[in-house]
Amino acid sequence: MKFNTIVTGVGGEGALLTSVIMARAANFEGYEIRGTQLHGLAQRGGSIPTHIRFGHVYSPITGRGEADLILALEPLEAARYSYFASRSRTNFIIDNFPVMPAYARSIGQKYPSMDNLMAMIRPFAKQVIVADASNQTAKKLGNPVFGNVMCLGIAISKGMLPLKKVSVLQSIKDSVPRGLKENIRAFRMGLEYKD
Amino acid sequence: MENPELLERAGKKVVLLGNEAIARGAIEAGVGLSACYPGTPSSEIGLALADLSKETKDFYFEWSTNEKVAAEVSAASSFSGVKTITAMKHFGFNVASDSLLPFVYTGVKGGMVIVVADDPLGHSSAQSEQDSRFYARMGSFPVIEPADAQEAKDFTIKAFEISKKHQIPVILRTTTMVSHGTGTVKLGTIRKPVTKGFFKKDPDKYFSIRPHLQELHERVIKKMEVIEKEYASLNRMEGSGKIGIITSGVSYNYVKEADPKHVRIAKLNITHPISKQFIARFLKGLEKVIVVEELEPVIENFVKQIAFEVGAKVEVHGKDLLPRVGEYTPEMVAAALKKAGIAGVDAPNFSKHEILLQNIRIPKRTAVFCPGCPHGFTYESVKKVMGPDTVWSGDIGCYTIGLLPPYNMLDYIISMGASAGMAHGIKKVSKQKVVVFMGDSTFFHAGMAGLVNIVYNKTNPLIVIMDNGITAMTGHQPHPGSGFNATWDKTRPIWIENVIKGIGIKHVAVVNPLDKKAMVAKVREFERITRTKKEPAVIISRSMCVLHKKHLKRKGLLPNK
Repeated sequence: MKFNTIVTGVGGEGALLTSVIMARAANFEGYEIRGTQLHGLAQRGGSIPTHIRFGHVYSPITGRGEADLILALEPLEAARYSYFASRSRTNFIIDNFPVMPAYARSIGQKYPSMDNLMAMIRPFAKQVIVADASNQTAKKLGNPVFGNVMCLGIAISKGMLPLKKVSVLQSIKDSVPRGLKENIRAFRMGLEYKD
Repeated sequence: MENPELLERAGKKVVLLGNEAIARGAIEAGVGLSACYPGTPSSEIGLALADLSKETKDFYFEWSTNEKVAAEVSAASSFSGVKTITAMKHFGFNVASDSLLPFVYTGVKGGMVIVVADDPLGHSSAQSEQDSRFYARMGSFPVIEPADAQEAKDFTIKAFEISKKHQIPVILRTTTMVSHGTGTVKLGTIRKPVTKGFFKKDPDKYFSIRPHLQELHERVIKKMEVIEKEYASLNRMEGSGKIGIITSGVSYNYVKEADPKHVRIAKLNITHPISKQFIARFLKGLEKVIVVEELEPVIENFVKQIAFEVGAKVEVHGKDLLPRVGEYTPEMVAAALKKAGIAGVDAPNFSKHEILLQNIRIPKRTAVFCPGCPHGFTYESVKKVMGPDTVWSGDIGCYTIGLLPPYNMLDYIISMGASAGMAHGIKKVSKQKVVVFMGDSTFFHAGMAGLVNIVYNKTNPLIVIMDNGITAMTGHQPHPGSGFNATWDKTRPIWIENVIKGIGIKHVAVVNPLDKKAMVAKVREFERITRTKKEPAVIISRSMCVLHKKHLKRKGLLPNK
């Protein structure tokens, strides 16, 4: 068995933390884990695909078209990493929390419409879930930053991430630096999420 | 602790970054001292060691002024009998090489490991796609190359063992995908270190003047012959078939991911000295061999040499199938193996995928300054006064992002501290306006020498030192001007303006870049001075990095002014 995920987002959204939670949960279940976590100038670019792979895996990065799940905390980033996706295999969970790239905005480029983005992503996707995660956690928990953990909950409840609820819960407890109560609530919001 | 799992008990399985695994390996080996300078992709080794040093108080850690100093600190402690480790990026090795190469001739006593992290592709590096394996050949360093986080830990311990036994510094070489790769690591036992030593005078060991120099050189050659034989068994052979694959580092994992059938695979773990016997044994009976290594054909050329020497009738492939430029991906390696005729490798045709990707037209995300970063303010004010025709002699740090639009405030990136010397060189032959942009950490690292040269050899650029109080790009490490040491204890800062005045630059001012009016006025005033008085002038653009301020606040360390 091998499972390939990519978590991506923009700075400050908690993509790295999400990948750490996932990796720890997979570790609890005894899987072999491989992945990447770029730092330095690579991070300043605003978006990096963080790979998490578990099972019978060797390479730290997922092969082209071989992602099973792309968890994008920002819609553009889902499109940007479609390189790793393919229709036969990849599920997308996208947090509908658009962040326009600063320089692009300054030269008058426009953020594509959600319909446009979906048209670009659809040929690469088995199933796409666009969730209002960050907005919902902003409303119910007072901060959009918990949207990442809510997306994890959605992934588990939709069967798009083969990890047990208890593993992810334990991993959240071990990994989040603060706001444990809110993170657990956000996770549950994700588990109970209805399209 | 940032990651308390670094102190988990032996036997536990945790997921670690390659760099974190190296730090854990160091304390399992009983490291007594470590001195580093940050540099992506190696910085987390020092960060983890700093954390461990602070938490356990079992060993000493420092961020040194630059990699050369860090190497000297580490080596001399090792001369005194203590186990030491220094970690740097590939360009940092260039800086340290001036001292590191002589350390092979002197040898070390307590064991010394030098971690060098290469960055093919340049995820976080600009100057070149350096292949540091050549240093091994140039300097006669044994080199161990881990392929994943578990090996990063285990091979660090092995490197110490080789170093201590044979009294020679050993290089642990990684690349970004190993240093910044994550993986499952089974932890071992942490060893209580020896932190006290004694430097014993020993001319036979340390005096490298001729003709003793030649004697020392002969000893190194002999040492490497012994190491080649003794540690050949670190390398691994698996599988069987008429086609062979020789590989090392992360490339091994790309080969395994491709799942080739009926092949014999050689995983080289000690990549210098490469055991001639091991390669000769591997080549026996093979019709074809493919060497999978990133960047230069170092292993490939050696394999060809051995094949010739032992008269093996074998085709040796490598750079005819895979590039010298950039990093590999699993699909790249799979395609190459399939092309070489290896069975069972799935390398699909991506042409449909490629066409679909062309429909993805979305705004790019370029590297930007964090919201509120003072560097953007500094650049705007300077550009406003000087005009876009000015030569922007830039340097390395977060402010290097000024290279990109909308700033366009950097005309070249060369190496740490190069901004000063290069500005001077242009001013000696051209009438153009030149501004030096140099960061605070860069100033201490290498910039001072270039600034002394400007005074001593007389040119008059405007110099802007972008002082945000921290080494930011690499993850916010303290430096001599920051007021903190590696374990975040307060310490007296070395004030850049005092050093500048000590060099003899008369026109020095400290300005807050967030006060645009004041900065514009000062730039105007100092530009006029450089032009009319033909003397250099320094503006220290000082404002704390916003993320650093946030971290200090969280740690309760923010100074109450």
